[in-house]
Amino acid sequence: MDRVVPALELIDVHKRFGPVTALRSVNLVLEKHSVLGLVGENGAGKSTLISVVNGTVRPTLGTVRVNGRELNAGHPTEAGYMGIATVFQEQGLVANLPVYENILLGREGKFANAGFLSVGEMVKVAREVLSELEIEIDPLARTGDLPFGKRQLVEIAKAFALGRIYPVQPIIMLDEPTSALSESETQLLFALIRRWRGKATIIFVSHHLSDVFEVCDQVVALKDGAVTGQWDIEKATPEILHEAIVGRKRSEAYYKESEQRENPGDIVLSARGLERPGEFMDISLDVRSGEILGIAGVMGSGKAALAHALAGSIRPVKGVITVNGRAVALGSPNAALRAGIGFVPAERNDSGLIGMHSVEWNLTLPNLRAYCAGNLPFLSSAAQAEVANKWLRKLRVKATGRKALMSSLSGGNAQKIVFAKWLERDISLFVLEDPCRGLDVGAKEEIYSLLRQLAKDGVAIVLVSDNLSELIGLSNRIITLKSGRITAEFGTPSGSKPEETTIIASMV
Amino acid sequence: MASAATVQDSTIKWMIADWAKRNLRSFYPVIVIFALLVFFTARNPNFATLNNMVNIGQQSSILLLVSLAGTFIILIGSIDLSVGAVLTLAGVIAGLIINEYGIAPALAVATATGVLVGLINGSTMIVLKVPSFLVTLGTMSILTGITNMICNGSSIILLNYTLTDFVNARVILGIPNIVVVTLLIAFVLILLSYRTVLGRHFYAIGGGEKVAASSGVRVTRVKIIAFMLSGGLSALAGVLLAAQVGAATPVAGSSNMLLDSIAAIVMGGTALSGGIGGPHRTILGVLVIALLSNGMDVTEVNSFTQQVVKGLVIILAVASTIDRRKYQFIK
Repeated sequence: MDRVVPALELIDVHKRFGPVTALRSVNLVLEKHSVLGLVGENGAGKSTLISVVNGTVRPTLGTVRVNGRELNAGHPTEAGYMGIATVFQEQGLVANLPVYENILLGREGKFANAGFLSVGEMVKVAREVLSELEIEIDPLARTGDLPFGKRQLVEIAKAFALGRIYPVQPIIMLDEPTSALSESETQLLFALIRRWRGKATIIFVSHHLSDVFEVCDQVVALKDGAVTGQWDIEKATPEILHEAIVGRKRSEAYYKESEQRENPGDIVLSARGLERPGEFMDISLDVRSGEILGIAGVMGSGKAALAHALAGSIRPVKGVITVNGRAVALGSPNAALRAGIGFVPAERNDSGLIGMHSVEWNLTLPNLRAYCAGNLPFLSSAAQAEVANKWLRKLRVKATGRKALMSSLSGGNAQKIVFAKWLERDISLFVLEDPCRGLDVGAKEEIYSLLRQLAKDGVAIVLVSDNLSELIGLSNRIITLKSGRITAEFGTPSGSKPEETTIIASMV
Repeated sequence: MASAATVQDSTIKWMIADWAKRNLRSFYPVIVIFALLVFFTARNPNFATLNNMVNIGQQSSILLLVSLAGTFIILIGSIDLSVGAVLTLAGVIAGLIINEYGIAPALAVATATGVLVGLINGSTMIVLKVPSFLVTLGTMSILTGITNMICNGSSIILLNYTLTDFVNARVILGIPNIVVVTLLIAFVLILLSYRTVLGRHFYAIGGGEKVAASSGVRVTRVKIIAFMLSGGLSALAGVLLAAQVGAATPVAGSSNMLLDSIAAIVMGGTALSGGIGGPHRTILGVLVIALLSNGMDVTEVNSFTQQVVKGLVIILAVASTIDRRKYQFIK
């Protein structure tokens, strides 16, 4: 009998890092030309599994077979020869090199004649790969100059290029590919995946269950390093997946819509005529106490810039912002902070917290003067300890204590500390930029609960997010931005939330 | 399949190794100090005498001051290469003023000069966006030139002996005053870094500048204060050195001082990338360098060999204590 060799097999794979078991007894079979979705919480073992497959990490026990041949682990270059490519969430591109160089990165040897590179040949191949994928990017452009979404596409081209250079059918692993893509770019990616499945096999790792349902044939769930289920996509539902990932049934209302506060108080922030050339113009809005105002827009619509402007990180050239009646100096994070505005930025590890310092140090940073005893400028350890322990308890943060290093906390717990940082300063308005990015389902639910509680306590929230269903679910009102201008406003009361398509119509 | 027993063993071994690795940074200087004491005492019993220790203290006080100056700059993630040059210039200025106007004006003007240089270093870095490495490299050269212009190649002898006598006198427990003064200053700086808002701001900027800025830290102001502090301390060191020796020479802060101070800072455990460490660690680092230098002197090691040894020790120190998780790629 002619047995079709699977593209990828993981046979009883275990991986231990010291006392931590990252993968246990993982058995996986991936047929050629299929798209497998891989879901699971942060820390479930998805990244380790990717590393085992692409050869970066050697399994403690078990075998990996690619197209029937055993993978010589610990040699990512060899994995490359076998056609395994990974496209990461945090980009694997070199910014100062041109696109064609990035697409063929590491494979330049194939284009060398006695040590001299044939640039013309490289550009030609890159151009061919791009046009086959129907991606419109100039291969000679400097990669760093391209916007984020386009760079993501270059990475995908890099993965597909393997099939061009080596006589293999690539196995492409996409790690959270849509997290930072706009709606149109996501659709483009899905179209690519559908077109190319005839020539490649794809593993699609994602937190966005809706994406997994749209483009995958099968889905595998990981929890605590073990496979908790594998289903054909027709047989899976979001509830089944949620339970396999989190270990408990999905709560009735994911976005806690029943807890939405429907009677906002007085106006907290008022913006009139905000303008910043190239980003946004003529922006006027009000945010009330206890209200969650969502700002929707595609990438480049100006919503990120607007969020930063409200938080004082960037400076509009025109316009006025008043908080509780008093005008706030524009473009000054300090002025915004003094006015009671707290900012949770998108890049958590870059602008939200200091990984090498402790939870306590991070928590107390915005408010250090308050912990000085009396008139002397000396910090009181007792005061700091009290505050740190209070927030660890109140927000149920999982950490070994207030002295734990921030970098040791998981994404969700770290995000809670970022919130706590501001809460200690009596914030009246939060500007949140994609607060649940990269968080697992369980952590998201906890943040949603936190937001509902904040609203109940009278805090005003401005929420900027690419996740439209999250935005609709959480907000009281949504403003849509297109090319820097406000195009529409929608009421989104709980019980009569609009469809995504309604909102999208004003975004594009 | 690994048996339960071996899994248990390896877990414990791993736990011990992890604990050791994490605390190595704190223990390393102490271990080295102990090793040096043992090693050199074996070669020359005079090494571990009280007399010699006092000697070492006296010889390394200046290095400690300069290293403390550099510590704050490294803490915020920058570097100050001009510390040696500031020291020299301050010594010369103090020498000129003290002979005619007395101690107080000499101290004031010399220290003010150091603070001014710090202000220039910090402002240039921030306003012109020139990396601190390059700004202070330039300042180093400029100040050396100015010093040579003032001195015209010769030294300035301090005719006012009061300060010299004070610095070298031993009022408390037979410890030279210069050591006492330096340790007092170190103590104040330790208080500053760990117990004041300004100190915490230094750590915050070094740990994550963007985060610090968005948390309300006035980054520009704090950075400039750090440079002014560094300049002031280096200048003070220069005045004390001139007083200790009795003369201000244009080569007082020769290249060894800069290198030794950076070696001491790193050896003590302050990360070059900033955000971790501090003056308490620098004290240990200086002790290592001082014991090493004195030990090699006392055992009559060739001065060129000493340089080789020092270099090796630095590399070893950084290699053993660098937190490799923080640097994925060493450059």
